[in-house]
Amino acid sequence: MRLPRRTAIAMPALLALPRPLAAAAAQDRPLFGTELSTLPNGLTVARIPRPDSPVAVHMIWVKAGSIQDPEKRSGTAHFLEHMMFKGTPTLPAGGFSRAIARMGGADNAFTSQDVTAYHQEIAAEDLARAMRMEADRFVHALIPDDEIAPEREVVIEERRQRTDNSPRSRFREALTAALWGDHPRGGPVIGWPDDIRAITRDDLAGFHLARYAPGNAVLVVQGGPEETPELIAEIWGSVPSRAFVARSEPPPPAAATLPRLERRERGIGDPAFIRAWIAPSLTTGDTQHALPLEILTGVFGGGPAGRLHRALIEPGLATAAYARYDSESAGASEFSLLAAPRSDVEPGRLEAAIDALLGELIEHGPTEAEVARAIRQATSGALLSLDSAQGAARVVGSTLATGLSLDMAEFWPKHVAAVTAPQVHVAAQAVLGRGPSLTGWLLPA
Amino acid sequence: MTLPIPALVGDAWFWRSDAAPVVSIRWGWPGGSRLDPEGREGEAALGAALLTQGAGDLDATAFQEALRDRAISLSFWAERDWFGGALRCLSDALPEAVRLAALALSAPRFDDAPVQQTRARMIAQARREKEQPRILSARAFWDGIAPGNPIARPVQGTAESLAAAVPRVPARPGPALAAAAGAVAPATLAAALDMLLAGTEPPRAAPVLDAPRPFGRAVVPHAAPQSAITFGHSGRGVPPSGRGWDAAQVALRVLGGGGFGARLMERVRERGGLAYGISAGFQTIPGAGLIVGGTATANANVPRVLDLVTAEWRRMAESGPAEAEIADATAAMAGGAVRAFADTGRAVSALLAARRMGRAPEDIAARPARLRSLTVAEVATAARAALDPEALSFAIAGEPVGL
Repeated sequence: MRLPRRTAIAMPALLALPRPLAAAAAQDRPLFGTELSTLPNGLTVARIPRPDSPVAVHMIWVKAGSIQDPEKRSGTAHFLEHMMFKGTPTLPAGGFSRAIARMGGADNAFTSQDVTAYHQEIAAEDLARAMRMEADRFVHALIPDDEIAPEREVVIEERRQRTDNSPRSRFREALTAALWGDHPRGGPVIGWPDDIRAITRDDLAGFHLARYAPGNAVLVVQGGPEETPELIAEIWGSVPSRAFVARSEPPPPAAATLPRLERRERGIGDPAFIRAWIAPSLTTGDTQHALPLEILTGVFGGGPAGRLHRALIEPGLATAAYARYDSESAGASEFSLLAAPRSDVEPGRLEAAIDALLGELIEHGPTEAEVARAIRQATSGALLSLDSAQGAARVVGSTLATGLSLDMAEFWPKHVAAVTAPQVHVAAQAVLGRGPSLTGWLLPA
Repeated sequence: MTLPIPALVGDAWFWRSDAAPVVSIRWGWPGGSRLDPEGREGEAALGAALLTQGAGDLDATAFQEALRDRAISLSFWAERDWFGGALRCLSDALPEAVRLAALALSAPRFDDAPVQQTRARMIAQARREKEQPRILSARAFWDGIAPGNPIARPVQGTAESLAAAVPRVPARPGPALAAAAGAVAPATLAAALDMLLAGTEPPRAAPVLDAPRPFGRAVVPHAAPQSAITFGHSGRGVPPSGRGWDAAQVALRVLGGGGFGARLMERVRERGGLAYGISAGFQTIPGAGLIVGGTATANANVPRVLDLVTAEWRRMAESGPAEAEIADATAAMAGGAVRAFADTGRAVSALLAARRMGRAPEDIAARPARLRSLTVAEVATAARAALDPEALSFAIAGEPVGL
């Protein structure tokens, strides 16, 4: 404890703010200048000094999201996130956000498959107050019985708004379920309607007890007053250490439950095409493919010079086409191609063009020039993330809470710049050529 | 905590911050979609999208690659009464960013291929908007409250109107306004702004807007489990500036600020479990501001939500907020001003918004103290003048039950 504290205090003068990089490939300084330590209770602390900023960001990341929901209780992590705003013995329901608003601050929270995170943006001098409230809630959340029923209705309205009211969102949800089967990554973060209805107070309190322990969380503090390290040690250091259940998940399925999913919906203007593959990530499976797959999205997409534009948009087959992949996952990930055919184009023609595009890429791989371009465009704006109220805290917190090393956040331009064309080719062959996949069409009824 | 008084660089407001090696510039002029010719709705939006699809000697691909290679974000867009542009880049890419932006504004190419592709993409988007209850209800609200007025037409156009829209540089009937923030020397910025905003078209008279009028209730039938609701009325009861403006904003925040503690949120979400969110606020439209809100609720709950909104509207109009509510709201608004300068993107938004409302540069720094000095009586008077439960109109898209 003593050592990290002293180190933390001594660091700002040495590091100060990162200076502009000469070139991403030659990156020799960390992007954010994060100081990493661990409190005796096990809490990982990432402090991002911003001595001149009048605004501080305070985030606590719990290393459990919807993947850790109990069996038949999908939506538990997310429902609990809602209930964390319903008071502690010393703060009434709704009191947390009201107190932050009175400081002129803003607060919110989010749940993903891998994490649940709570964040406040406040004036630097209000950091201690926000920190005391968050540490209190982390330990003493009441999850009051009489607030559960109305909040369940709020969650169901949220689900209707996000998913049930949109045929395209419902299709995405069905496609994910068909790709992953009963693997937890096949379920929605917000939960299936029947599961949301079935969640009890015991489920919520049980999740809180099992997961909200300092050893299973990451604290990120960006900016704040000079005494921030002492505040962290005092306030978060007093949270008692306790046992927790670490995240776990089954291995990804070897094949999709269906090869194809076609769904017809009334009220749809134009069809939508998605092909999705189960893919490795930086934490799981053949991790060496993860960054090459990130670069592959830039070869496919990235505007009119990308392959999707040239093969699908230019000949008038599609109005839009994208490639998506996120290397940062605590388990396996997903690579997907999405396209919208022009209304006068028969869906089969679009799919044939996509098959041809994929076949060509898997056989010959991208050119050196394409990979150089994708790397350049992915890294040239790395320093822009310093000009974002919450950007640094989000990147660092997400990286650490996913289980990756700080190095991946601080030096990602360097890591991305090291990707080669043959690596992208091999990754495309392994994942898009041989990985489990599913083709989906949403069509007008 | 002190707030900045922006410097004047040329005609632009500038907040210098060397916290990160980044510059943001935001500009625009009155106009936007209300100047679209009848039957060609979406024309300004189409023009905006095409400005970055080839200009000068760069075709669409070359132009986009030039932006992406240096991580320059450059965009143009149309609003109901405004045509906007924004760029953000690393400080050392500013000369290239300004060169490209100036080229886009002065010499767009409108080549056939990008015109066809962009038009097709926007038509597909317009068709997709018809799948979304929230957009359907907002549209019905505008049609109801300002029927036949150019301001009420769909900014992004419809599938039919986009097919007829003509690609061209969006009209500039008034002088451009600009704001900048970030790590750049004032002299460098001055030269950049000169290049960017040179060559304006001669001013053209803007059409006057009609007074918004109540329409009661309008229902857009749409098969979905949840109804989207847009509600509101004229904002003519809100003075354009001064203490009366601030007092009205406080009353509206207590009523419909999206955060916890606002009355609509408390009543409809927290106590009622009837919606994921609900908010209402002032929307600035020169000559005819509006007070507009929105929410979404299960079809069976629509009558209940309409009743609750109307009741809270009436309670606020009749009695104004309590002293503690005013204290909370003014503390939040005054304190929140600091966060508006946490990065250059937020800063240029705040600066340009203040300029569009005709504020003086000193106003940003002076406002927190003015907010704290408002009395309960001033806010109650403002609430009474601003809110009219009898004029409250609702546009509902979904399958509401029991209306």
